[in-house]
Amino acid sequence: MKKKITFDKEDEEFFGQVGSFGVPKFDGEMNGGIPRGFTMVAFTETGSGAELFAKQYVSPAEESENTLYISTNEGQPEIVRVFKKYGWPLDINVRTIGEEYNSNVLERELLASRYRLEGFRLEDIQRLAQTRFVDENNQDYLTEVTNEIMALGPYFRAAIDSLDFFLQRDDPNRVVAMIRMLQAHTQMYRGLLLISVSVNGLSPSIRQELASIADMVLTFGVRTVGSDFETSMIVSKFRNAPENLKMLVFRVTPEEGITPETVERIA
Amino acid sequence: MRGGIPYGSTVLASGTCGSGKTTLAMEFLVRGALAGEACAHFTATEPSVKLLENIRQYAFFDMNMVDTGLINVFDMDVLYSWLGLDKSTFDLDDVHALIKSITDIVNTIGVTRLVIDSVTTLCYKIKSEQLIRDFLFTLGKKLATLGCTTILISEITSATENAHWSSFGVEEAIADGIVVMGDVERMGHLLRFLQVVKMRGTSHSRAKHAIELTPLGVMLTPMLKWGSQTDSANWGA
Amino acid sequence: MIMFELDQRIAEQLSTISLNSSVQVRCGNSNAFMVTASTMLPLMQMFEMGGVYITASRGAVEIIQAFESIGVDVSNIQFIDLVSSGILGGTDVEYSNIHFVDSPIMLESVLLRTLYILRTTSSARNFVFIDSVNALAIYNEDRMLAEYLHTFINTFRQREVLSIILNVPDQTPPLVLSNLDLYCTDLVDRGQVVIH
Repeated sequence: MKKKITFDKEDEEFFGQVGSFGVPKFDGEMNGGIPRGFTMVAFTETGSGAELFAKQYVSPAEESENTLYISTNEGQPEIVRVFKKYGWPLDINVRTIGEEYNSNVLERELLASRYRLEGFRLEDIQRLAQTRFVDENNQDYLTEVTNEIMALGPYFRAAIDSLDFFLQRDDPNRVVAMIRMLQAHTQMYRGLLLISVSVNGLSPSIRQELASIADMVLTFGVRTVGSDFETSMIVSKFRNAPENLKMLVFRVTPEEGITPETVERIA
Repeated sequence: MRGGIPYGSTVLASGTCGSGKTTLAMEFLVRGALAGEACAHFTATEPSVKLLENIRQYAFFDMNMVDTGLINVFDMDVLYSWLGLDKSTFDLDDVHALIKSITDIVNTIGVTRLVIDSVTTLCYKIKSEQLIRDFLFTLGKKLATLGCTTILISEITSATENAHWSSFGVEEAIADGIVVMGDVERMGHLLRFLQVVKMRGTSHSRAKHAIELTPLGVMLTPMLKWGSQTDSANWGA
Repeated sequence: MIMFELDQRIAEQLSTISLNSSVQVRCGNSNAFMVTASTMLPLMQMFEMGGVYITASRGAVEIIQAFESIGVDVSNIQFIDLVSSGILGGTDVEYSNIHFVDSPIMLESVLLRTLYILRTTSSARNFVFIDSVNALAIYNEDRMLAEYLHTFINTFRQREVLSIILNVPDQTPPLVLSNLDLYCTDLVDRGQVVIH
């Protein structure tokens, strides 16, 4: 049976039909922003500015407690530094999976090499004799992240940057299944969800699956133009509004972060 | 066995499921602890929590033996995890790491009685027979040098005359002693038996002995000669 | 209480034996319990012995109740019951002095269980009573039973525990009977009973 969600009249007025990209000029280019309930998949290339975009996308944080930024590559201090630099709100929920993984798994591996090289000391042996169970190191981050997003209320805003972490450690089909669930949840709760995934090493079939689940598909690319780099965002799918499909060239400024170029470059 | 297991020996305790191998090994440790010896039990077949719960039934066991460090029970899963060995197959480096850690433990806390329960589950992770041989031989040699008497528990599927006393066929060649435990079926009933097949340095009985697992430990008596065959085909012969 | 006349001559005979004796007690079909009681009572009451009663003939509860019916408390005696495990629900009993062995086939288990009980008992002087060779012979082959009784008697003789072996001679396999005649140090013969 489908769950019935009721939305407050006030909320409907406050949040409106669309939410901002975090980049006002993108909003302007695409009829005011992202329709509420949309799941966006961003296929990214290294150096294309997608990490910054993911942060900028959460920065509007209409309700900070209902905004979640999940990073798999960066640590808390790094994220705080970027948010501070651009004056984005610091009171949103941030989960740094990469950092957690490093502290859990990599630290353990480091300790294992120490034991193997230097052997056990008396205190290690005493601790070993008193340890009855293996630490749960193979934490299921995918389920955790899914649950965390599913726990957000109506009109939430969330970003997963990036899905690569899960695709490398989990069965990709399971990852796709979770994304399907998240898409349904986002639609039902009128949330906004951005999922970035690197195109390098992504299998065509998974890419195809992700693209078909997504309501909006973005591709972040970078290319050299003369002696310069040109970063761009291509909107290749926009559910029910194909007129919005376009390519936006942008650059990064210290004041506004990602800023679309309004003047077309002549190569 | 007329005196017991010679110090520093490696004894293979082979047996079928439920034959009392773990109980025998635990008694070996508890008896050692009673005499003030430091003991270690590496368990891979059942969690240490369960094992400690089971040995409470012994009238001569005292939890103080664990609290004061005379009896040390190590979960192999935890050891594997600490050594980064939580994987399905061990290579040469892994095997050496395991030997080093076991001998480290024996050396550091001065263990004189050691049980590995079971060597079968451990050897399943070592794919090559040569590596299993190296592992057991090196481990046995190092433990003997440290004056540690070791019981290696081996799980076998059948304890008949023609069966091997170990799963890999390697363990039995390396051990100084072999104790086999199993069941004799007599008219639909299973009687537990224990038989010392070999024990270097001792003159021992090689007869089958019936055993009973009691709170006073494993009790044994020679099995009736006319009833020690698994089948009853010899009856009336 | 049922009035019961004990055979006092058995008590007299028992007063002449030592702890490392093994007594073959022969009875007939009709006087088995009278002979059993006449043997057990002096041991428990006159000589203040503890002991183990191994029963292969009837369930231990029945035997305890038979003793209770003649006013004899056997709560200090430990019973090893080889019969009741073969009966559905037979081991569900209230007496804490009954130990069960799965089958009369498991002779070694009976021996080990007896040794275990004797090691945990507080009584200084003990007996073991087998009731009966005939019942054991139903399940066990003659040679194995003869071998077992040989081991059994010698085990307890060595430990200075009096062993008492009850049998109905005209129904005991000849091989077993001749061996009992050979191993046992004493004989209480009440096997030739003529009922008028």
